[in-house]
Amino acid sequence: MISCQTYRASLTAGTRDAALLEHLRTCDACLDFSVEVDPDNFFRSIGGSDLVPPGGVDAFVGDVMRAVQVRGKETSMAAHHPLSWRQRLAIAATVAAGVTGATIFWQHERQPSAPVAAPIARAAVVPAPAKVLATKPIVETYSRNATIVEVPSEGKVNVVMIFDEKLPADL
Amino acid sequence: MKRLLIALCAFLFVTGSVMAEPQRAGQALTVRTFTFKHKEADKAAAAIKSLLSANGSVTIQPSTNALVVTDHAENLKAIAKTLTDFDVAAQPFRLQVRIVAASRAPGGARVPANLQDIKEWLTVLPYQSFEKLGDADMQGKEGEPGLVDMASGYRAGFKFGDYDPASDSIKISDLQISKVQNDQMTSLLKTSLNLRIGQTYVLGAARSPESKRALMIVLVARR
Repeated sequence: MISCQTYRASLTAGTRDAALLEHLRTCDACLDFSVEVDPDNFFRSIGGSDLVPPGGVDAFVGDVMRAVQVRGKETSMAAHHPLSWRQRLAIAATVAAGVTGATIFWQHERQPSAPVAAPIARAAVVPAPAKVLATKPIVETYSRNATIVEVPSEGKVNVVMIFDEKLPADL
Repeated sequence: MKRLLIALCAFLFVTGSVMAEPQRAGQALTVRTFTFKHKEADKAAAAIKSLLSANGSVTIQPSTNALVVTDHAENLKAIAKTLTDFDVAAQPFRLQVRIVAASRAPGGARVPANLQDIKEWLTVLPYQSFEKLGDADMQGKEGEPGLVDMASGYRAGFKFGDYDPASDSIKISDLQISKVQNDQMTSLLKTSLNLRIGQTYVLGAARSPESKRALMIVLVARR
């Protein structure tokens, strides 16, 4: 059997050298080194070349490769964010600032202008709104039951008629 | 990272406070008591009834002749102004009264020269002939009575009521129009009116819309 030094110097990945494979099967000290050079050496060390997994080697290799691909895709998708967390936080802060700013502006526009803030020059230019007077019925009470009709004329009521059956005929 | 989060929280807190503050100030209800020297509190309550907001309320305190008003601060300013204008000493007013007889007649409306100034109101009614039966111009202060006898046998009695600054009108209470018939004074009608200052009102009285005759009382209240 070749020495460990010779084995380590000669070992290459996927080797099929009989002397090297014999050393691999028998020398536990070189097992770690052998697996580092080629992970398949682990199987070779236990006579893997003679073992056949259920369903055959191709099916086994296919399953392993699919598992590897799935894991690889999961990792790549998890790591493949278009924006970093800093960028996302910055965007959220900008949106929040925009919304609050717009809300403040909108509320400010809705509020009637404060008298203190109203400039004097503006007050001189803008005419004061006409005083809106409350409206009261012209006839507030009448002594008897009667029909009272307000006759509107040009938007105002200046004529009111009282129809009372108890009034004398010769008014 | 921490600094950014702190800055963001501070910004949101400040803007939230800015937005919330005016809202609270506008919605808060304030209570004020108004005591009156010249007018009665219940009449003052009626004068401000239309100015109260949905959340506003008024309590009358007859023992102190006062009103306790609860409303938003902005509303209370307007209410205080109205009550200040309302609680003044009795003001002098004039009431011009004209009595006009109206009747149906064939042809177009014929309005005599002494009624031309009120022609536009008289002619909206279905009468064509008009005759002035008398007029009077009376002066008095709020609360004072007025009485005038006209040569045609008609009498107008009334009382100057309270002036309402909110509607710029004065109440003419218990306006009674009477007529001498068979040496006796017969009351024709009795009513209370709200007259806006400076406006002409025509108060017509008839038995029915089909009546051939009507009595028109033309009233103008002035300061």
